[in-house]
Amino acid sequence: MSNNALDEILEFHWMMDMLQTVDVGIVVFDRDYNLKVWNGFMEAHSGLLPSDVRDKSLFSLFPDIKEDWFRKKTKPVFELRTRAFITWEQRPYLFKFRNYRPITGTEPFMYQNVAFSALVSATGTVDNVCMMVYDMSDAATAKKQLLALQVEQSEKNEKA
Amino acid sequence: MLSVLICDDSLVARKQVAKCLPQDWEVNVHFAKHGEEALQALCEGKGQVLLLDLNMPVMDGYQTLEAIQKQQLLTKTIVISGDIQPEAKARVLGLGASDFIQKPVNAEELTKVLQKHNVLELAEELAPEPEELPEIVRDCYQEVTNVAMGQAGDHLARLMGVFVKLPVPNVNLIEVSELHMMLSDVDSNEQTSAVCQGFLGDGVSGEALCVLSDSSFGDVAKILNITEDVDDELQLEMLMDVASILIGTCLSGIAKQLDMNFRQGHPVVLGQHQSVQELIQANKGTWRKTLAIELSYGLEGYHVQCDLVILFTEDSMDTLNSKLSHLMED
Repeated sequence: MSNNALDEILEFHWMMDMLQTVDVGIVVFDRDYNLKVWNGFMEAHSGLLPSDVRDKSLFSLFPDIKEDWFRKKTKPVFELRTRAFITWEQRPYLFKFRNYRPITGTEPFMYQNVAFSALVSATGTVDNVCMMVYDMSDAATAKKQLLALQVEQSEKNEKA
Repeated sequence: MLSVLICDDSLVARKQVAKCLPQDWEVNVHFAKHGEEALQALCEGKGQVLLLDLNMPVMDGYQTLEAIQKQQLLTKTIVISGDIQPEAKARVLGLGASDFIQKPVNAEELTKVLQKHNVLELAEELAPEPEELPEIVRDCYQEVTNVAMGQAGDHLARLMGVFVKLPVPNVNLIEVSELHMMLSDVDSNEQTSAVCQGFLGDGVSGEALCVLSDSSFGDVAKILNITEDVDDELQLEMLMDVASILIGTCLSGIAKQLDMNFRQGHPVVLGQHQSVQELIQANKGTWRKTLAIELSYGLEGYHVQCDLVILFTEDSMDTLNSKLSHLMED
């Protein structure tokens, strides 16, 4: 094996490591919603190993996710290659994960923002979609606290 | 640059007024010999400030003021006249003039009056106006957007099974204040909802704004095959979905033609969790004008009214223009 090829493999290895350790959930699924990639973040929070979920349907693994709704949501990603989004303000979470900080965190579960983006294959078609899951718990908690304070303040003002 | 129109039938008087303008005031000076000429110049945008004589042939100062009022021409008028009767002053002020200066005018007095009516500051506010987009550039952006829209419309039509009435894009440089007005309209008007989404790539950045009228939600639900009751939360989600599709297709269409790639941020619902006024207030200092592409969509057979505004930052313009330069060559 030439040095060049070895370097490439080494590079591939640490890139995979990066995907594995990045603190964002990365999931790839195909047109039948069978899971292809399940990174470390997803593994840690769901307790499911990549080998447990590989090639299994998202809906069978997570029956809480409504199939109709999810298909509708991701259809434009497959068809139009546009991004699709879910924000915690609309739906607090897609996957019911525990709060990252089980002791000092105030919310029982993790608030999530989710973004979907099309993965174009070598043949130019979109066979897979990448789903990124962000932990928004801190932002959500802060915003909720702020809202609570605002309400409290306006109530005080009314009394005065 | 601000333009000042001096209207007097006497050449000497015109020259004298022009000489009295503040030395350091950077303005374009135009002249008119009587009211009719003045009105024509005003219609051509030559005269955000009008220095007007009263007694002139063809059309006198009073008639000119009346015509300005009638045609709602945007100009600040200061009358400079030898007629010093109190009645003359009262009449011109009644006809919408800002002030009255007695002839012969001197530099000190004219400056004082201009200062009093904040005319000198006008220069700054109005400064970007002559920087309007050159016709060829506007045409170019319009064409690029047209092509992007054509692709996006095709995608939408196929995805939703509806006929999309393709809008004619409106390309403009807009001021902070105009955007402010537009957004506060969304804020105050409960009949509309808006989503904004930032995007950036290759030295170009901006934000896309999607405004959907609330009356559209019923029909959007039909198109998206949503059978459940459309409650507040679902409305938001629909808005988010429609916005993602419109913004995504349009942006990728534009990016493709420019041979660029835009990354999109997470969309944010405006007005719901944030006060729009505060949002813009906070950013007021950082930019003055922005390139805006406005698109107004309709779907045939449905009551769906949706406006998409794509805003590019001021500092993105250079990159955009150079990317478009190949289209502008003959």
